[in-house]
Amino acid sequence: MEHSSHESLLKHPNSITYESPFPLYALAISHSPYRVAVGSFLETYNNRVDILSFDPDALTLKPHHPPLSFDHPYPPTKLMFHPSNPNLLASSGDFLRLWDLRDHSIEPLSVLNNSKSSDFCAPLTSFDWNEVEPRRIGTSSIDTTCTVWDIDKGVVETQLIAHDKEVYDIAWGEARVFASVSADGSVRIFDLRDKEHSTIIYESPQPDTPLLRLAWNKQDLRYMATILMDSNKVVILDIRSPTMPVAELERHAASVNAIAWAPQSSRHICSAGDDTQALIWELPTVAGPNGIDPMSMYSAGSEINQLQWSAAVPDWIAVAFSNKMQLLKV
Amino acid sequence: MASGFQTEERVPENMKKKLALAVRSIQWSYAIFWSISARQPGVLEWGDGFYNGDIKTRKTLQAVELNADQLGLQRSEQLRDLYESLSAGEASPQSRRPSVALTPEDLSDTEWYYLVCMSFVFNIGQGLPGRTLANGEPIWLCNAHLADSKVFSRSLLAKTLVCFPFLGGVVELGVTDLVLEDPGLIQHIRTSFLEIPYPASSSKKSLGAGITRNANTPTCALIDQDILVPHVGCEELDIVSLDNSSNGFEANPAAEASFMVDGMNGGASQVQSWQFMDDELSNCLHQSMNSSDCISQTFVEPGKAVSASKAVVVNDHCLQDLQKKNHTKLNLLDLRSDDLHYQCVLSSLLKSSHQLILGPCFRNYHHESSFVMWNSGGVAHFQNPGGKTPQKLLKKVLFTVPRMHVDVFPESPEDNGFKDGVWRPEADEISMNHALAERKRREKLNERFFILRSMVPSISKDDKVSILDDAIGYLKELERRVEVLQSCRESTEVEAGTIRKPQDTSERTSDNYGPNKINKSKKPLVNKRKACAFDETEPEMNYIVSKEGSNDNVTVSITHKDVLIEMRCPSKEGMLLEIMDTVSNLQLDCHSVQSSTVEGILSLTIKSKFKGSVVASAGIIKQALQRFARMF
Repeated sequence: MEHSSHESLLKHPNSITYESPFPLYALAISHSPYRVAVGSFLETYNNRVDILSFDPDALTLKPHHPPLSFDHPYPPTKLMFHPSNPNLLASSGDFLRLWDLRDHSIEPLSVLNNSKSSDFCAPLTSFDWNEVEPRRIGTSSIDTTCTVWDIDKGVVETQLIAHDKEVYDIAWGEARVFASVSADGSVRIFDLRDKEHSTIIYESPQPDTPLLRLAWNKQDLRYMATILMDSNKVVILDIRSPTMPVAELERHAASVNAIAWAPQSSRHICSAGDDTQALIWELPTVAGPNGIDPMSMYSAGSEINQLQWSAAVPDWIAVAFSNKMQLLKV
Repeated sequence: MASGFQTEERVPENMKKKLALAVRSIQWSYAIFWSISARQPGVLEWGDGFYNGDIKTRKTLQAVELNADQLGLQRSEQLRDLYESLSAGEASPQSRRPSVALTPEDLSDTEWYYLVCMSFVFNIGQGLPGRTLANGEPIWLCNAHLADSKVFSRSLLAKTLVCFPFLGGVVELGVTDLVLEDPGLIQHIRTSFLEIPYPASSSKKSLGAGITRNANTPTCALIDQDILVPHVGCEELDIVSLDNSSNGFEANPAAEASFMVDGMNGGASQVQSWQFMDDELSNCLHQSMNSSDCISQTFVEPGKAVSASKAVVVNDHCLQDLQKKNHTKLNLLDLRSDDLHYQCVLSSLLKSSHQLILGPCFRNYHHESSFVMWNSGGVAHFQNPGGKTPQKLLKKVLFTVPRMHVDVFPESPEDNGFKDGVWRPEADEISMNHALAERKRREKLNERFFILRSMVPSISKDDKVSILDDAIGYLKELERRVEVLQSCRESTEVEAGTIRKPQDTSERTSDNYGPNKINKSKKPLVNKRKACAFDETEPEMNYIVSKEGSNDNVTVSITHKDVLIEMRCPSKEGMLLEIMDTVSNLQLDCHSVQSSTVEGILSLTIKSKFKGSVVASAGIIKQALQRFARMF
């Protein structure tokens, strides 16, 4: 179901909308042939992931033909394509699952379940695919652990008790370094070469205010961004100066839901929130006395829940709000 | 006009005049004296300077006509004043600028360059002046604008630059033309103008005259042949245009610095302050300038020697639409053609990844973008929109969705954990809670029915009514059996006579009858009637065993579709059959069974596979099997 491309072209000359029958949350964009995976958000058992095709030249966003989709138990908490292979998709929910996108169907490749006993599983809140070492995927779970999988072998490389409370997001910095945020309000960096120790680089000022999302600047690994629960601030951190944020971007009128660094510029970051706005910020080294203002903004029709700025299409930002998914030209 | 000579004690008297003399004589664009900073040891900063280049707007404040020399001095002082006021203005953004003779719009490109130089600071050994001082030797730099920024960072305007140490500082002379190296020139300058004690008694008026006519300063005669007829002291300042000087000295690339020109002409010129992190470059004070229309303040701590990085700040005027475009890494915007040169100039200067541009008034020139220029008008303050839950969907994804998976497993230890979880439902989420609770209730009911079905043998249909009916029938059957057993036991008790209380029985017989029990219990599958005919110790044994029933083990481990069941239970006739029955009711296909009976305890190891897609959890299987240990 696609919003009429003509209408959307008229309203916003360079935004492309896909309207789904159900609310959307998880989003992922692959490299050419530019597939977009959208995950439903229905609070029932039966959820789905659909694959769309994006044509940046023709400016169209349509369901893949022939239709590609798969069922997922409960909403997928995250979707992500392999850093270079557009046929490999990963989803997180109860387990980390890998899917093979073929011409006419999607085949489940593997279900990565680390539960030793099947009395319980540890559902995943998020995961990140290591761009330097694509056989590594790091997952974060509500059981306070982070697990690093070697997906080529289908085994766990390591599992660390990362935090005191549920871990909500995880992001790779280099091949062996990742960071995670948790309900305990801390951002911690882990190095696989030294699993005994982690470094806290930030803690939320009100103790135990959960940090909900984390993004690591892949262009300049010194910088990370995180958002707090019920907060309209985007906190920018410099890993060289722990505990003190280098900037707090405070221009959203409501709480922030998602953040994404620009894939090809080290100074830009985009954030989106309940105020229906997506803001692009440019970070100076020196802030003015009144704080940093965003560079540009976009207003969507309702609260923006998801934001993806993929390296595959650096000129486009993907947002999801209610049951729509839009690609915005930067 | 007071000028801020902070380092006056380090700047020889009349330095400005000497510099004026020197630079005018050779018709270069400017002369600067860098002196060791009083505030910061080991750092060269602006001592004094004389500007001899292009002037855009001449301002005469006094009625008195000054001669050319005086104008030159005055101009230099005015430039200094302007610098002072701007840096003062930057330090306290709200204060009004002290009134100065010049405003930024009055300045030509080269004047701007000169003014910007005032903000520079060099560590000893860094930058051209720093290296000059460190080496103690003059340095002549040609084609400075093409030089690596490590060598010379201010190459925007200068084409030729000369630095030589002098009186503990460094004298820098620059010109916008290309002049080939000539050590003789340096020597001349040094001796002729700078080291000769200047007649302090001379008035300003005679200064000019003195320069031209004073025989003590053989200016005209000693200047190199290459230099054109010097207009020393006599020239009109506004024709000291460097176009006519074919000196191989630095040239003000006035024409090339289009960015400056544009900036100057534009009414609303924006300030751009850049910072580059380059370890080669020296520390610098920053400077922010107020434009005529908007005061955009940028604030950098002056002279702060950051250990890891040394920043050099270059302030230049620029059109607002140029602010972002030179960021070579950003492909966001289309470049306008007249920006290209600017970009080239900049990119040759600026180091790559650490370049920053503060663009508070950035204009989005990319018309195709979905994003529009940000304005603060619409955004008020952070507010919770009408009592709705903030980050509602995000919270659901992180808090609720994972629990959906977990609640399917009734015996999950996670359940207990979550009761203490962080997320507390808010008042306005009660409706969501109801739906959740309702779903959970239904799921729990379904699970219980499933378990019941597995516990009750011979269940015909799967619907709930049938399950309940069969369960009722089974319970009645069980009650009957229990009665039978109890009557058997009573009859044996009566026979025994002595034994009344089960407790006593167990205490007395627990140890003594151990071996006997073993013997007797080797016939587990004996006919039921024989169970009653067992001797008096049997019931006690049963009691003992049933009390220990809670210790009996049922372990279930599931790997993919394989289920391994290990259990121990008191062995009874028909027990094995009933266990197998239960297992198959749980949709498990047994392919291997090992059993042994020791001391009346049946040990069982069953390997099985799930039959179809319906998968029972380990908890359910365990629960279904544990009744064998408990009952009977």
